[in-house]
Amino acid sequence: MDSGEAPAQRPVTLDITVEDVIKEAPDPPEPVSQTPSRDSILPQEDSIDLGGEFATPQEDSSATPSDSLMDKLNDQMMESVMISDSPNNSEEDDVGPIDSFLDGGEEEETAQETSGDKEQSDIGQNTTEITVSVEEQEKVGSEENVEEDTKEQTDAQEQVSASVSPQGDTQSPSVLKSEEPASQEAKGESPKNESVPVCTIFSQGTQPKSLVPDGFQPTLIKSPSFSMGSGGGSAEAVTPSKLTAPLVCQPSPSLSKFFTDNGQTNPASDFFDSFTVASSFISVSNPNAEIPPGPSAAPIAHTPERQLSSTSSSISTPGGPLDSGAPTPSSVFGPAPTESTTKPQPPPPQAIPAPAQAPAPPAAQPQPFNQLQAVFPGSDDPFATALSLSEVDRRHDAWLPSEETRKVLISVATQQYNPAYVETNRLTMPGLKFDNLQGDAVKDLMLRFLGEQAAMKRQVLTANSVEQSFTGLKQLISSKNWRAAVDLTGRLLTAHGQGYGKAGQPTSHTTDSLQLWFVRLALLTKLNLFQNAELELEPFGNLDQPDLCYEYYPTVYPGRRGSMVPFSMRLLHAELPQYLAKPQEALDRLHNLKTVCLAILENLEKGLAEDGSMITLTQENRQVSLKLWRSRLSRVMYSMANCLLLMKDYILAVETYHSIIQYEPQQRVQLLSGIGRIFLQIGDIKTAERYFQDVEKACQMKGSQPSHTTCVLMNRAFVYLSQNNYGEAHASFIEVLKIDPKNPVANNNAAVCLLYLGRLKESLGQLEGLVQQDPALYLHESVLFNLTTMYELESSRSTQKKQALLEAVACREGDSFNAQCLKLV
Amino acid sequence: MDVNQAKQEHLLALKVMRLTKPTLFTNLPVTCEDRDLPGDLFGQLMREDPSTIKGAEILMLGEMLTLPQNFGNIFLGETFSSYISVHNDSNQVVKDILVKADLQTSSQRLNLSASNSAVSELKPECCIDDVIHHEVKEIGTHILVCAVSYTTQYGEKLYFRKFFKFQVLKPLDVKTKFYNAESDLSSVTDEVFLEAQIQNITTSPMFMEKVSLEPSLMYNVTELNTVAAGDEGESTFGKMSYLQPMDTRQYLYCLKPKPEYAEKAGVIKGVTVIGKLDIVWKTNLGERGRLQTSQLQRMAPGYGDIRLSLEMIPDTVNLEEPFDIICKITNCSERTMDLVLEMCNTRSIHWCGVSGRQLGKLSPGAFLSLPLILLSSIQGLQSISGLRLTDTFLKRTYEYDDIAQVCVVCPYTSNEC
Repeated sequence: MDSGEAPAQRPVTLDITVEDVIKEAPDPPEPVSQTPSRDSILPQEDSIDLGGEFATPQEDSSATPSDSLMDKLNDQMMESVMISDSPNNSEEDDVGPIDSFLDGGEEEETAQETSGDKEQSDIGQNTTEITVSVEEQEKVGSEENVEEDTKEQTDAQEQVSASVSPQGDTQSPSVLKSEEPASQEAKGESPKNESVPVCTIFSQGTQPKSLVPDGFQPTLIKSPSFSMGSGGGSAEAVTPSKLTAPLVCQPSPSLSKFFTDNGQTNPASDFFDSFTVASSFISVSNPNAEIPPGPSAAPIAHTPERQLSSTSSSISTPGGPLDSGAPTPSSVFGPAPTESTTKPQPPPPQAIPAPAQAPAPPAAQPQPFNQLQAVFPGSDDPFATALSLSEVDRRHDAWLPSEETRKVLISVATQQYNPAYVETNRLTMPGLKFDNLQGDAVKDLMLRFLGEQAAMKRQVLTANSVEQSFTGLKQLISSKNWRAAVDLTGRLLTAHGQGYGKAGQPTSHTTDSLQLWFVRLALLTKLNLFQNAELELEPFGNLDQPDLCYEYYPTVYPGRRGSMVPFSMRLLHAELPQYLAKPQEALDRLHNLKTVCLAILENLEKGLAEDGSMITLTQENRQVSLKLWRSRLSRVMYSMANCLLLMKDYILAVETYHSIIQYEPQQRVQLLSGIGRIFLQIGDIKTAERYFQDVEKACQMKGSQPSHTTCVLMNRAFVYLSQNNYGEAHASFIEVLKIDPKNPVANNNAAVCLLYLGRLKESLGQLEGLVQQDPALYLHESVLFNLTTMYELESSRSTQKKQALLEAVACREGDSFNAQCLKLV
Repeated sequence: MDVNQAKQEHLLALKVMRLTKPTLFTNLPVTCEDRDLPGDLFGQLMREDPSTIKGAEILMLGEMLTLPQNFGNIFLGETFSSYISVHNDSNQVVKDILVKADLQTSSQRLNLSASNSAVSELKPECCIDDVIHHEVKEIGTHILVCAVSYTTQYGEKLYFRKFFKFQVLKPLDVKTKFYNAESDLSSVTDEVFLEAQIQNITTSPMFMEKVSLEPSLMYNVTELNTVAAGDEGESTFGKMSYLQPMDTRQYLYCLKPKPEYAEKAGVIKGVTVIGKLDIVWKTNLGERGRLQTSQLQRMAPGYGDIRLSLEMIPDTVNLEEPFDIICKITNCSERTMDLVLEMCNTRSIHWCGVSGRQLGKLSPGAFLSLPLILLSSIQGLQSISGLRLTDTFLKRTYEYDDIAQVCVVCPYTSNEC
């Protein structure tokens, strides 16, 4: 059994095995105590008695009542369901059970009693484990049944017998004998006699039963093509309790093996285990777990504080320069330009922004302002500039706060009460919840696999290596160093007084501080660090506090109205719960957003301003506003559809995607194709094809653009794929490549098809070539995941090949790269 | 790492991967507006991401295919596909390689290899690929047994095996229920309605491509799962014919005995085979499964030895006015009977005529029609009861109560009441 066994003997083993399984089966006294019942099934192949099997396992379930344990075991079950290519099976001691199962007879003959004991225990263990998981499933299905079945304890045979009608005719006598008593027992035992027994009868052996109380007859399901031929002759055992009996299987590795040190268990089983690990592409890691959060905050905070001193000072006294002379927008312009000149920042923002922008740190200017600035560079008419900007502000910042918030804002405006007296629970007091992500997974992997020297070569931008400003932040984002970018937002927010540990302390908000929060949260979301994002979003509540509105700061933002919270941040806030398994909450929030969008659109259509006030807007202005809010509405609809898709509520998702077409007619082709793919995912190929036909029509209407042709071909390929026609699917993807040779999706998908066609080497070659030739396009986690999977399938030296990929990644990708797709760990 | 050493004994490595359908990559859209701090950066990042849909980056469901990430679940009736790759890890040429893939179930052992012939030689870094398919027909533990035998360049014959175990689960729960339609007055008779509840007990949505009843020889079947609307019937399940996990759906079928069997309907007794349900479903990207139920059997309603049915009865009668009914009495037994009819009045039903009259001999399978007169003394819906047939040969009495209902009205309502 062990690896020491002479290989030459093995063929012998095999031969015996093949015959023995059937021949010797009936009489194995054998360690495998359950074998007899299993073997008795052997000849009776049409006896796939689903119900019976489900009835049986529950009995054992009663033995393991603990839910959590069951869950765990269930997880384990999923694992053990996996084909785990563990050499254990073939070469190691653990093989025991399996081999005994397969070679049971032989083992007996050769009287290798030694392994007997162990096997038995192994088997026992496995039986329970499997039963439990099945039970679990059943539990989900019908609680009552479980209950009942646990009572009935014995096995499926009762159920069968229960269904034998009294006038039953020619059943094989032996069966009747064995069953009849059981049936009585069963009837007596379960007085409530659950009307819907899950168990079933055999097609041939059994009699029709008189209707059970509710009249439902459990029905036996079998595969139609099940061969009736082999061994139908035996009239014995009717419903052998298959599940309990024959579960002779190798011991499943313990949970800990699967989840923790699978690196050590054995590389082969890792092959599949690693699939599971990799399946959670989403890595929600808590950085706090690694860094002691508290103390490190201080030193980090230091640097930025100094660097940002100008910024922070301007924030701490935001009203300062304005208070002096800023009742009208035009006069605000006085101080602003001067301030800008004092700073090295290239975009002198104060020139543009309306009064509100004045206190902002110079670096804070969003792009549009730069552009606008270009438009009105030396504008002689600052008033006009200010006016147009206030239009833009009004349009974008418009929001409809809740009644309560509105009251507070009105009283602030009418100076009925000082903002200082607003109860703290109505204030937003955010702070960093963790202070440094400090991660570069790629570098960590390099350290581990390629050594320190190689890891030294890895150069990525960090929060320290860029300017401590919005410019630096953008640089980090565009170079895909999002972790560093999160760090930088942390520093900048610390400078704003909203740093680590500041949550719950009164603070004031500015346009920039909220933009910083938005960027930070958006990046955390992009990094799949959803829990962190949720934690930091929490102090913002539902983003409806009065201190998030401009009206709350009449001196700082005189005359400015609306919400400081960027719309994108509201959207992010609404979407976030869906990634944390709370899709309903996400939907609620999205619906709120949608309601506000619709209300604002209604206001605009009625000739009012966005917030419903009686400001007259020019026609042109109104059109621009309508356009903006329609696009926001469509963005919200997109999020709703995506959320519904995550919830697998396909009906509503499809409806919602469909309704987006009216807002985004230019995306008709993509949306219809997307809906088609949803149907393919469900398995409804016919409906999918109908949508794909609509796509083709839409493409024809618009004339032939290459992008549309690829879209049509791509859809066709997916249909072929769903019809199991990988050859044609591959051909279609190749067609796409004739039009658009660089199409990464078609290239990747063609390679995937090749694998299903049994052409592993070709497929590998193609993907490898792509990654080498055009790393910008193909160092994508989906492609790399496919590639590493194929490496694992191809040879035992996949680790080296993966390391080569790691090096390729190291010289191109930022710290936000999801290194899990390399499946190195 | 001892495991590796154990492996290195062999020049060839065997790898197996289950080929479930690939999945479509979903991306996670994060956007901002031009006015926000990152400007167009997020948009640009999303446009550059190869997995997004160009022109509709916010659409979550992409087009990029990714290989299966784990073994997943396999269900009865689905097809198990697996990639088997034997790779020459060594630097020598290996000869006469024979790869054999068997599937061991609890009842049988199947050979799944496409070819059973040996490959004459395999160079270093080359592999032998095979994709096997098998429609799973049994529930429970399955073990894929892969055996590789080969000869080294020194003529040494080597052999190894690997086992891959997986569980086949049950995908559906099917419950059936029969409703017997009593033969009506015109004796068209014996429709049977079958209600089948099909529950998806997997964890993924399931598209029900086909759920049909294949009737046995004796019956014709009508599916009652569409509502006639225009030319094509609309499914009673709405537009989306997929089942979410744990959802149950009810299908209804009407079965009529074929005319040649209908004649004998009166004497059909005991068990009849109705037919079987054929279910075809699809899941992710067209992964297909198919199951059939066993023959559904139905206990024909027991008519006993003598069946009494009504051939004619008015639906509404006047209070205290005699009315006619015609009974049909069929001998369902195997022997000849000599019958006596007794009529017992109930509180509301009063029979006219002589009770205890001889109906004469009735041979097996024969029937006679019997006009009777009765009246009701109470208004409302009244049940006709109280007929007793006695077989004088066996001295056995058969009671017939609640044969039918009539509505009894007062003809003078307008005047008197």
